[in-house]
Amino acid sequence: MKDKLKAITCELLAQSLLAWDLTGRVQSENDDAITVACHATRIRIEPAPAGLPFRWIVTINGRKRGAISLVAVLRQIRTALDPGYTASRVRIAPLPAPPA
Amino acid sequence: MIGALVITGFLGSGKTTLLRHLLGQREFSRTAVIINEFGEVGLDHELVEASADSFIELTTGCLCCKVRSDLVATIEELLKRRDRNEVPPFTRIVIETSGLADPAPILQTLIAEPGIAGRIALAGVVTTVDGVNGASTLDREYISVKQVALADRLVLTKSDLAGAAAPPLLNRLAELNAAAPVAFAHHGKVDPRVFEGDALDARARPVDIDSWLVGAAGSHAHLHERHDTEIQTCATVREEPIRAVALTLFLETLAEHCGGGLLRLKGIVNIAECPDRPAVVHGVQHVFHPPAWLARWPSEDRRSRIVCITRRIPRRWIELLLDALDIEVTSVSDRR
Repeated sequence: MKDKLKAITCELLAQSLLAWDLTGRVQSENDDAITVACHATRIRIEPAPAGLPFRWIVTINGRKRGAISLVAVLRQIRTALDPGYTASRVRIAPLPAPPA
Repeated sequence: MIGALVITGFLGSGKTTLLRHLLGQREFSRTAVIINEFGEVGLDHELVEASADSFIELTTGCLCCKVRSDLVATIEELLKRRDRNEVPPFTRIVIETSGLADPAPILQTLIAEPGIAGRIALAGVVTTVDGVNGASTLDREYISVKQVALADRLVLTKSDLAGAAAPPLLNRLAELNAAAPVAFAHHGKVDPRVFEGDALDARARPVDIDSWLVGAAGSHAHLHERHDTEIQTCATVREEPIRAVALTLFLETLAEHCGGGLLRLKGIVNIAECPDRPAVVHGVQHVFHPPAWLARWPSEDRRSRIVCITRRIPRRWIELLLDALDIEVTSVSDRR
C-alpha cells in the first residue's frame, strides 16, 4: 500500500504541474520521499513520522510544514509554485448518511 | 419540488421558437416561463404566447452577469405569488437564457442559492443548436461550445432545411458532449415527450441519471475522452466502491483546483459504506449540489461512474486524484 501510494502520488504531482500550467520535475527518491523542482523552488514530500497529527511533511525551500492529507499537500505545493493561485476556502459537505 | 428547465443556445439558434412550440403542448401546461433578454427593449417575450395556465416573466440584462440578484429575485417573487394564489399554480419553470449567456452561473444559482434551492430543482439543460449554421458558430463563438458542453439534451433546430444536421455537425456535438441525446426540431416543432426525464419528471428524480450516463455506460472500465478545442468529457468508471471521505476530498479538490475549468460534474457512486444505495453527485464549476442518495440502483450496473466536462484539465489528473485519495483514505482506515 505504501509503495502504491507513493507511486500514484508521484504521478499525480507530475500531472498537477501540467494542470496548473507549470514546468517542473517530479522525482521519486530512494527513501520514502518525493521531490518537486520548479524554477528556483525545491519541495520535498515525505510521510510524517508516527505520532504526529499529520500524514505528510512538506518541506518547501527548507521550511517544514505538516499536511493532513494529499489535498493539503496539493494546496501547499500550488501555493508555493503558482503565483496566480489563491487557496480556496471551498469545502464540500460530507456525504450525509443515507435515510433509513 | 418544482423542476426548472433551462433552455439555452446561441443567438438565432431557435430557443424562442422551441419555447413557443412547447408552451402550446399539453405536457408543458402549468409552466412559469422566465425569459432573459439582453438589451433595453426585449422582443422575445412578445413572440411567445402562453396558455391560460402558464405565464411569462421577463428579465433584461445579461442573466449570467446578474444572475445572483435578478434570477433569484424573479424566482422568489414567482414562488410568493404562487403561494398567494396570485398566479396559476405552476408545476415547472422554464428559463430561456439570452443567446450570449454562459449557462454555468445560472445552473449554480439553481443548485445552490439558499433562497430557492429548497423549492426548485434543476431539472435539466436543453441547448438548441442551429442545424444549418451550428458548425460555424461553434468554430467562432466559445460561449456556444460551452452551451453545448453543459447540456443534458441538445435540440438541433431547422432540421427541415436543406443541408441541416449534416454528419460533421452531429459528430462535433458528439465529441463535445457525448452524454447529451440529440432531438431534431422540424419547422420549430419537437415532440415534447423527448423532454420526459427533464422538466416533466423533475420531482421524481433529483437528476436524470440515465441520459447523462449514456456516454459513460459503455463496456470499457477505464477512461473515455472526447475533446473539441480545449473541452473534454471524461468518464471515470470504478469497479470497486469508493469510500465516502475519499469522494468528499475528491470533489473538494476538483472545486479548489479546477475552478472554471470544471464545467460540469455528474456522477453515480458506489459508496463503500453503503453499497446498496448509490450516491448521486452533481456540480457546476465550483458549486456542488448536496450529494443525494437514490433509493436503489437504477440497473444491475453498480460501478461508480463520474462524468466530468472540463476545460484544460488533464483527464489523467482527474483519474489519478480519485485513485490517490481512495488509496490514502483506505490506508488510514485500515490502520485504525
